[in-house]
Amino acid sequence: MNVVSRGVKNALRSPLRSGGIVLMLAISIGLILSMLVARGSVETKIASLQSTTGTTVTITPAGVSGFQGGGNPLTAANVTTIQKTAHITATTATLSDQLGSTDTNLTSSLTLGSFGARQARFDTNSGSSSFAGGGSGSTAAAPTLTPHITVTGTTNPNSVATNGGTLKITSGTTINGSGSSYVALIGSSLATKNSLTAGSTFTAYGQTFTVSGIYSTGNTFQDSGIIMPLATVQNLSSQVGDVTSVTATVDSSSNVSTTVTNLKTELGTAADITSEATEAAASVSSLTSISNLALAGVIGASIAGAIIVLLAMVMIVRERRREIGVIKAIGGTNGKVIGQFMTEALTLTVIGGIVGLVLGVLVSGPVTTSLVSSNSTTTTSTTGPGGGFGGGAGRGFARAFNGGVGQVGTNIKQVTASLTPQIFLSAVGIVLLIAIIGSAIPAWLIARVRPAEVLRTE
Amino acid sequence: MLEVKNLTKSFQAAGGVVHALNDVSFSVKTGEFASIIGKSGSGKSTLLSMLGALDVPTSGSIIVDDTDIAKLSAHKQTGYRSKKIGFVFQHYNLIPNLTAKENVMLALEFGGLPANQRKARAEELLSEVGIEPDQQLRKPNKLSGGQQQRVSIARAIANRPSIILADEPTGNLDSETGKKIFDLLHNLSRSENTTILAVTHDLDIAGKTDRTFSLIDGKITTKSK
Repeated sequence: MNVVSRGVKNALRSPLRSGGIVLMLAISIGLILSMLVARGSVETKIASLQSTTGTTVTITPAGVSGFQGGGNPLTAANVTTIQKTAHITATTATLSDQLGSTDTNLTSSLTLGSFGARQARFDTNSGSSSFAGGGSGSTAAAPTLTPHITVTGTTNPNSVATNGGTLKITSGTTINGSGSSYVALIGSSLATKNSLTAGSTFTAYGQTFTVSGIYSTGNTFQDSGIIMPLATVQNLSSQVGDVTSVTATVDSSSNVSTTVTNLKTELGTAADITSEATEAAASVSSLTSISNLALAGVIGASIAGAIIVLLAMVMIVRERRREIGVIKAIGGTNGKVIGQFMTEALTLTVIGGIVGLVLGVLVSGPVTTSLVSSNSTTTTSTTGPGGGFGGGAGRGFARAFNGGVGQVGTNIKQVTASLTPQIFLSAVGIVLLIAIIGSAIPAWLIARVRPAEVLRTE
Repeated sequence: MLEVKNLTKSFQAAGGVVHALNDVSFSVKTGEFASIIGKSGSGKSTLLSMLGALDVPTSGSIIVDDTDIAKLSAHKQTGYRSKKIGFVFQHYNLIPNLTAKENVMLALEFGGLPANQRKARAEELLSEVGIEPDQQLRKPNKLSGGQQQRVSIARAIANRPSIILADEPTGNLDSETGKKIFDLLHNLSRSENTTILAVTHDLDIAGKTDRTFSLIDGKITTKSK
């Protein structure tokens, strides 16, 4: 029998008391583990959200919004600068144009309405017979006017999707946005209006285009447009190298602010830059709160565990003061006595730890779910017909808003408790730390017991 | 040889300085069985604490085998207690969670005996003091007072100490058992040539020892025989 075996034996000396201590420790350690698991899951989700949500930066020519305003488009050099900016992982360049009745054989699927008529009044004065956009209203407008058809030249047709995901192709196939052939995707409303199907042809810019596919976004304005490869639109509209919008993806939402600052420095007054930095911060703020709450739980439960061991060992040391005196009187060193009592504390903690870890594994899932569901907020966005002016900036923001913030609620609900080896080792480390801290003061008390007391209490 | 010279132990109390031991000097030869008698509060336990290196004196010296134990460091005093001294207490003071054999093995561990020899040595010692093999496996609360004191004596002699200090060794026992314990101690002092210093208030027992010191108010007043 040595110091360790005596310590272990002493830990089990009083089954009832040891059981009580172990139970309290187990609850504390179970809580530590479940909080660690919850925090780990939430941190993983935060990292995931930061890499996927609110990472979009939209760069438009200064003074331009859709087809409104004035100024020069962004140049090919501007696009290269954007692509080379730190933290930007991908870009989508877009050039928006409009086709009037003389530019194409297609008829717009939009009606002019009072809204379109008001917007078209200047065009009426200048002799134009068509204008972008329309809407329901009275019949105050001149009947000869028709809305323009919006053409989007893009390197990525999916950028037109309003749900932040992949553009829905209802028939045919999508197009290669990086090419320069005369192919197009036609919005479902425009296709119906002009009886177009995949494989049909139409004329635009004096050229014959083949309909590669029909797309549908659920947005009346978008579904009344045409998507072509960027280079095709640039070449045919005599705007080689020009773009009206660049949507850049940043590697993490935490880098969006820095990237925007860098872009403003690089592009100067040539561009207006909008980002989702605020939305990105909001998307993780609730999760960050949960993470902090879980960390507070870990610290609180650790302190509680250490206090349980501390008080238990102080009680045991006080109770066995004479025994300590006897051991010292017959030649036991402070080290041996302290070692024996620390082993006793460690044994209780390890047993409590094993029970607590099992408990923690069982409850960590429900605890994580409970924490997340009680703190999550769901943001909804609405889209409807009318569409605005349909320019790159407006469309990019709408897409990001729908795809980013709206996804937060869903993602939070998907947080699942996962127990990684690192989390498990952290819990074991905390258990050992609890035993050491909880034994420190009792050890000091043991060292202060004078062997002479064994005679004094006779 | 145990030699105590001008030993003083003073405490600072509310009413002033209290001299628990006041200039105590005496000596006990190797193998002698000596007793100390005195009333409660006369300083007997304090003297035993000093001799057992459980406490340090205010002044004076305690020479054991040419070493002044009063001047030893705390670490060396622990070594002195484990190898040179054996304690026998009135209330036995066995470790309640350990069996009789484990209690003796504990002292052997502190005395530095290799682990593989402790069990056999403990069994031998317990047999010497009259503890049967089945009793050796019992915890103290399953032994009688006399048996516990025998285990206590086996523990005290485990490391073949030079001196055994016994504090009222028969004080908690009936007269018949007390006599047996006294005889056991007496035989030990003879067979092992161990110096035994026993504090007692039993004058019959004191009368049977080789020498008796009377302690009154911290001073040795009588050295009989």
